Amino acid sequence: MSSSSHWGARFPSLLVRPAGVFAVAFLARVVLVFYGVLQDRTLHVRYTDIDYQVFTDAARFVTQGCSPYLRATYRYTPLLAWLLTPNVCLSELFGKFLFVSCDLLTAFLLYRLLLLKGLGQRQACGYCVFWLLNPLPMAVSSRGNADSVVASLVLMALYLIEKRLIACAAVFYGFAVHMKMYPVTYVLPIALHLLPERDDDQRRQSRLFLQARLYAFLKRLCSRAVLIFVAVAGFTFFALSLGFYVKYGWGFVEHTYLYHLTRRDIRHNFSPYFYMLYLTAESKWSFPLGIAAFLPQFILLLAVSFTYYRDLAFCCFLHTSIFVTFNKVCTSQYFLWYLCLLPLVMPLVRMSWKRAVVLLVLWFIGQALWLAPAYLLEFQGKNTFLFIWLASLVFLFINCSILIQIISHYKEEPPAKRIKYD
Amino acid sequence: MRPTCPEIILRQEVLKDGFHRDLLIKVKFGEIMEDLQTCRLLIKHSIPAGLFVDPYELASLQEKNITEAEMVSENFNIEAPSYLSEESEVLIYARQDARCVDCFQAFLPVHYRYHRPHSEGAETLIVVRNPDLLMSCDRELPVLRSWAQSEAAAPCALRSKDICQWSSLKYRPIHKNVTLQVPVGLSIHTSLVCSVTLLVTILCSSLILVAVFKYGNFSL
Repeated sequence: MSSSSHWGARFPSLLVRPAGVFAVAFLARVVLVFYGVLQDRTLHVRYTDIDYQVFTDAARFVTQGCSPYLRATYRYTPLLAWLLTPNVCLSELFGKFLFVSCDLLTAFLLYRLLLLKGLGQRQACGYCVFWLLNPLPMAVSSRGNADSVVASLVLMALYLIEKRLIACAAVFYGFAVHMKMYPVTYVLPIALHLLPERDDDQRRQSRLFLQARLYAFLKRLCSRAVLIFVAVAGFTFFALSLGFYVKYGWGFVEHTYLYHLTRRDIRHNFSPYFYMLYLTAESKWSFPLGIAAFLPQFILLLAVSFTYYRDLAFCCFLHTSIFVTFNKVCTSQYFLWYLCLLPLVMPLVRMSWKRAVVLLVLWFIGQALWLAPAYLLEFQGKNTFLFIWLASLVFLFINCSILIQIISHYKEEPPAKRIKYD
Repeated sequence: MRPTCPEIILRQEVLKDGFHRDLLIKVKFGEIMEDLQTCRLLIKHSIPAGLFVDPYELASLQEKNITEAEMVSENFNIEAPSYLSEESEVLIYARQDARCVDCFQAFLPVHYRYHRPHSEGAETLIVVRNPDLLMSCDRELPVLRSWAQSEAAAPCALRSKDICQWSSLKYRPIHKNVTLQVPVGLSIHTSLVCSVTLLVTILCSSLILVAVFKYGNFSL
């Protein structure tokens, strides 16, 4: 089993009961929300994120019966504006408390998923502490970012898949994809995960030609569980999209989907492609370079799907980390998309405590190396574009090293423990 | 001999550094007059395409009573680069300056847009012209007639639907215009940046791919 230096071995002795930890986490977040109110009123620099103001303004338009897209820079689903209408009627803090609740729901689902994997209560709680007492998700939810809503939807879908409630999982998955496009990459690993195990007949077929293998694979893909999942998720997504299109018109499609798919933000961000895209924004190479930037992401996602689909949480974690690391636009908000899956990954990654801390420190150093020239550019007006670009390449390298370390230290569960679906 | 008219002096300053600057406009009337207390000064500024003003920021500043300014243009895109943007018009209702008699001042936060990369020189210039000064008084002021060069219609106050008649004043600016320097990317870097970026991303993705095949159980 785990060696004594394995990071998980240290946690249980540090903890009380799960209920206590959840209570402390909730209190910490509530304190931060009220601190945010204080800072907003007194200091010039606001604690609340500008996005929260955008959501509230859009919710105000919705209460007046108008489209939320009348608010410039509102690039989210109308559902979010609908959910936040109590911001206008009741109190402006409602949304923040909603996001804090989704945050805690995320942690609870992590806890249940870890219990399902066979961990003990205290051990599972130990891994959840990474999310519950982590200042990053605390700050993000209390500042008014909606990422915890998508995280809880994704985790609910994963949890329901493990509980074999495929249709329910598909509904939550459809909602998650509607809110943020990145979970759409999970469809291949989920489909592979839901497939029945190959029997001997099919294994013999792997010696046939590529075309025959592809045909056999596609035939396998039409299993009952996969078809239910794809049909229900697809139906949920298209029903939501059609409903909102009928209500709000083309503006809905443009702001909720197209903006994120075609987004070419040439302003500085963590992405290694930022400077390249800025310099070639008006040249004829812009489109081919965009495709060249998309290919590594695509190939890696395919390879990871076919390799790790047996452990869905690990596969989704790798998917999103690769997606964010190699994306054309990368801001610190995106990190939460894969950090919420890290507690599920940690039990099976057999890495020493020291190594994990070194990788974490490297990750922060990478961000600091980028933030320094970016600050000089944005707040002092110095031309540090080349340094920002170099720092983003270093950060890419650090992220890749971390991913390779996680992949090389991952020990899969033995096949006997896998759950069958058909 | 007819006495000459007192001069109006306008000074534009840009405070802070970096992409987020504050435009400070100070107007001084040449002569001390009590009647000026009953007048309102409106500054109509044409913001060049290289800069943008955030209307939501203006609204929150107005709530905190720091400045009263309003954007006239619509259909603005806050995130667009300068070559895809147009000039925008802003109305700032100036306030009496407490420190100087018969002085008005106005404050407007502006932000840089991203500009086209340059082949030489690491900076591009943005030129901010001098604004139009409009004045409207409750009582008829004789000196206003010597300053006024034309009439203009504009809202009487911030967010007001009533239109008043304002007189456009001629003034002497301290500087001909204000020049701002924006850091831009250097287009001579393009081939280096493109090749190195693609090389590094392909290298990193290959390393991850090798690790996946080596340590994972790839099965089609």
